[in-house]
Amino acid sequence: MLEATPTPPGRLRRAARELARAALPSVAPILTSLLVCFVAVAALRGGVAVAVDAFLAMTWGAIGDVPRLLEGASVAVLLRPWGESATKAALLTLTGLSVAAAFRVGLFNIGAQGQLMVGALAAAVVGAAVELPAALHGPACLLAAALAGGLYALGPALLKLSRGVHEVISTIMLNWVAVALIENWLVPGPLRAQVGGGNSVAGTAQIHETAELPRLVGEVSRLNAGILLAAGAAVVLWLWLARFVGGYEWRAAGLGPEAARAAGIDVRRTVLRAMLTSGALAGLAGAVLVLGTEQRYPATLGAPYGFDGIAMALIGQGHPLGVLATSTLFGGLRAGGTRMQLFGVHKSFPELIQGLALLLVAARLVWTKLADRWLPAREGGP
Amino acid sequence: MPTIALRGISKRFGSQVALRDVSLELGRGERVALVGENGAGKSSLMNVLYGLYAADTGEVRVDGRPARIRTPADALALGIGMVHQHFTLVPTLTVTENVVLGREPTRVGQLDLPRARAEVLATCARFGFALDVDARVDALTVGSQQKVEIVKALHRGVSTLVLDEPTAVLTPQEADELFTVTRRLSDEGLTVVLISHKLKEVLAFATRIAVMRRGEKVAEVRPAETTPESLAALMVGPRGPRPASVKAAPGPVVATLHRVSAGRLREVSCAVRAGEVLGIAGVDGNGQRELAEVLTGMRVPDDGALVVLGQRGALTPGRARALGVRHVPEDRLRHALVTDFSVAENAALGRHRAPPFAAGARIDVAGRLAETQALLDAHDVRPRAPHLRAGALSGGNQQKLVVGRELAGAPKLLVAVQPTRGLDLAAVDAVRGRLLDFRAGGGAVVLVSLDLDEVLALSDRLLVVHDGRVTGEFPREAFDERVIGRRMLGVLDA
Repeated sequence: MLEATPTPPGRLRRAARELARAALPSVAPILTSLLVCFVAVAALRGGVAVAVDAFLAMTWGAIGDVPRLLEGASVAVLLRPWGESATKAALLTLTGLSVAAAFRVGLFNIGAQGQLMVGALAAAVVGAAVELPAALHGPACLLAAALAGGLYALGPALLKLSRGVHEVISTIMLNWVAVALIENWLVPGPLRAQVGGGNSVAGTAQIHETAELPRLVGEVSRLNAGILLAAGAAVVLWLWLARFVGGYEWRAAGLGPEAARAAGIDVRRTVLRAMLTSGALAGLAGAVLVLGTEQRYPATLGAPYGFDGIAMALIGQGHPLGVLATSTLFGGLRAGGTRMQLFGVHKSFPELIQGLALLLVAARLVWTKLADRWLPAREGGP
Repeated sequence: MPTIALRGISKRFGSQVALRDVSLELGRGERVALVGENGAGKSSLMNVLYGLYAADTGEVRVDGRPARIRTPADALALGIGMVHQHFTLVPTLTVTENVVLGREPTRVGQLDLPRARAEVLATCARFGFALDVDARVDALTVGSQQKVEIVKALHRGVSTLVLDEPTAVLTPQEADELFTVTRRLSDEGLTVVLISHKLKEVLAFATRIAVMRRGEKVAEVRPAETTPESLAALMVGPRGPRPASVKAAPGPVVATLHRVSAGRLREVSCAVRAGEVLGIAGVDGNGQRELAEVLTGMRVPDDGALVVLGQRGALTPGRARALGVRHVPEDRLRHALVTDFSVAENAALGRHRAPPFAAGARIDVAGRLAETQALLDAHDVRPRAPHLRAGALSGGNQQKLVVGRELAGAPKLLVAVQPTRGLDLAAVDAVRGRLLDFRAGGGAVVLVSLDLDEVLALSDRLLVVHDGRVTGEFPREAFDERVIGRRMLGVLDA
C-alpha cells in the first residue's frame, strides 16, 4: 500500500485533527462541567443574566480586567490578576506533572501532598538558614526542595520493588507522616521563627530576599518566575517522554511492564527514576509556594495542592502539556472565582467545576466514542 | 425440517463487515463443521446464535418459529449451548459447583450441595462422562476441564452444542476421546456445531461442512465429497505453495542446559544447535514454558547449569538479547507487544537503544519510521500503517510484526512459543516460513507448541516433556504421532 506524501497543508490539517482527537477527552468534560455549573448558578442565583455576570467576573478575575482597561484603567488591572492566576497555575502544574510522571510508568502517586510539604520545608530552611548571593540562593533552595521531595517518594518506590507494597497505600500514609512531622512538630517546635523580644510568629523564619523567586513585572503584581519554572518542567517532561529513549522506556514500562521486561528494559530502575522525578516535581511545587508566595513555611500550608495535582494529571490525561493547559485554566478559574462572591457564589465554586470535570473525565469511554464519531482516525494514523 | 435456521445474518463492527448475508441450517443430530480463516466469521456467526452479538439483519428460527436471542440466557432457554475456546470455569470451585453455577439448587436460599452433587452425577452418568465431581477445576487437566464445560451445557438440557476450537489445547488422545463422546451424543440426537481450523479432524468428524471466507458462506460440502486440499483452497482462495522443507544441516551447539530445574521444569539437559529446529512437545503446563523462559532470561533457574551462546550462568532478558537470543512469546499481547504503542514504537521494542531507532539518547523518529516501513513490507503486515495502535492490528498481523521484529538484526537463537496459535492459514504459513528461512540461514530455533501437528511439521529434532522431565527425544526420521502422544502423557513403554 503506497501512501502519497501529504502536502504541507494536508499534513497540518491531519496534525490538527489528531490534536483535536487527543484533546477531546479533556476538553469535552471541562466544557460540560462549565455548562452544568453555569446552569446551576442561573437556576439558584436568579437567572441567566446573573450567571452571565458571575462567569464574566470570574473570567476577568482570571485573565485580567479587560473592560476596565478599555475604560482607561492602568495596566495593573491586567497584571494583578495574572499574578494570582499564574501563582496558582504554577503550583497545580508542578503537582500535576508529579502525579503524571508516576502515572506514565504505571504508578499512582497519591503522595504529592506529602512530597510538596517536605519540599516546602527544605526550601524554607535553606532560604532562611543559608546566606548566598541571589544568583545561587534561589537555585539552591529549589534543588534542596526537589531532593527532599524526591527522597520522600523514594521510600514507597523501594518498598514497592522489594516488598510489593502498593504505592497508593504507602504514599497516602506518608502524607500524614509529613503533616505530623512538619506541621505538628518541626514548624511549631524546633523550627519556629524567633522574633526579637521573645515574641514569635507562626511558621518558620522568613527566608532571605536572595532566595525569593524573582518577580517578573515588579511590585505591582505577584507574578513570579514560578510559572516559568512550571512551564519549563512541563516542556522538559514532554520532550523526555516523546523524544528520548529513556522516556520511551518509561512509557513502555507503564503501558506494558511485562513486554518491557521481555524487551530487556530494566523496569525496576525505570520505576525508581520516575518516582524520584515525581517526588522532585512535587517538592518543587512546595518550593514555589514558599519562595514565591509565603516567604516561610507557614503554620499550615492550607490549600491541598498535592491532591489537586491528581485532578490535573487525570484531566490532562497524563500528558505534560495537557497538564500545563489544564492547570493554567483551573489556576485562572480559582484566582477569578473569588470575584463570584459578589454574585452570591461561594469562592470555592471553581473547585466544584474541577471536581465535576474530573468525574466526567473518568467516563473516558464516552469521550473516546465521541471522538471516534466526530473525528474518526484514519488508517495510517497521525 | 431443520431445528435451527439462521437466515440472512449480517453483522458489521464499525466499518468492518463480520458477516454478510449468511444462512445456515442445523438439523437434529447433525454434526456441522464451520471452517474458515481467522476473521472469516465462524465465531461471529455462532456468537449471534448464542446471543453474544446482535445481528444487524437476518433472523434465527428455532423449530420453525422466529426466535429472539438477545443474551446467552435466551439461547440456553432455547436449548442452545456453547463451549468457548477460553473456558469459562471458576478454577477454585469444584466440578459440581461449576456445573450448577447460575442454576444452583437451593434450600432456604443456600446452595443445596448434596442435591447439586446428585444432579451433576446423574448428568454425567446419563451422557457417559467419567468425571470426579468433587475435584477442584484447577486440579484437572485441560481435557477434563473441557469435559466439565460440555457437561455444564448438557446439564442445562441443551439440544444444540457449539464447540469453538475445542482441540486447540488437547493431546491427540484427548481429542480422539472428545470426538468419540461427541459423536455418541449426536447419535442420541444432540446437534453439534464444530468450529475448527484443523481440516483433518473436521473431515473425520462432521456430517456436513460449511466453509466461510471474509464473512460469507462460500460453500457447503459433505466430507466424502471433498479433500483437505480443496477445503483449504475454498477457505483462502488461491495462494502460493508452502516453503519447501530443506534437510537440516545442524551446526555448532549454541545453547546447552545441564540438569536445569526451574518451576515445573526438573533436571532437564539438552542442547540446541545452529541450523536446526528443536521442537518441544508436551501437554500444556509440563515445564515447556519454563524452558523457554530460562533460555530467554525471563526466569532464573532454580538449579543446574546453563550456557547460552558462550555465556555461562543466569541471564537477564537484556543480556540474552545482547547475546543474540530472540523471543516470540506465547502471550504476544502481554509479553511481545505494548498494545497502546504504535506499530512503529513496537517495532523498536528491544532494539530501541541502537540505530536506526535511536540517535544517541534521542529517539530517531525518521529512522524508526523507515525501518518500520521496511519491516511491514518484508513481512506483509497489513495495513502498512506505522502509526496505527498495535492493539488495532489483527492477531495474525500482530504476530507477523513480532516475528519480523525478532528475526531482524541477525539473531542466533530464536525461542518461539506457540508462534501460530489463533492465526489463520495464510498467517500460519507466513510465520512457519519465516522460522524455516531463519533455520536455513544457520539460525537455531527452539519451538514450543501445544499443537503436535505443528511441532511435527517443523522440527528437525523433538523433545517430549512430561511433568517437567524429558520423556523422549526423536530425530525427524523417527517421528511417530502415537508414540509421541503416549510420551506426552508420561507413558514410557511403547
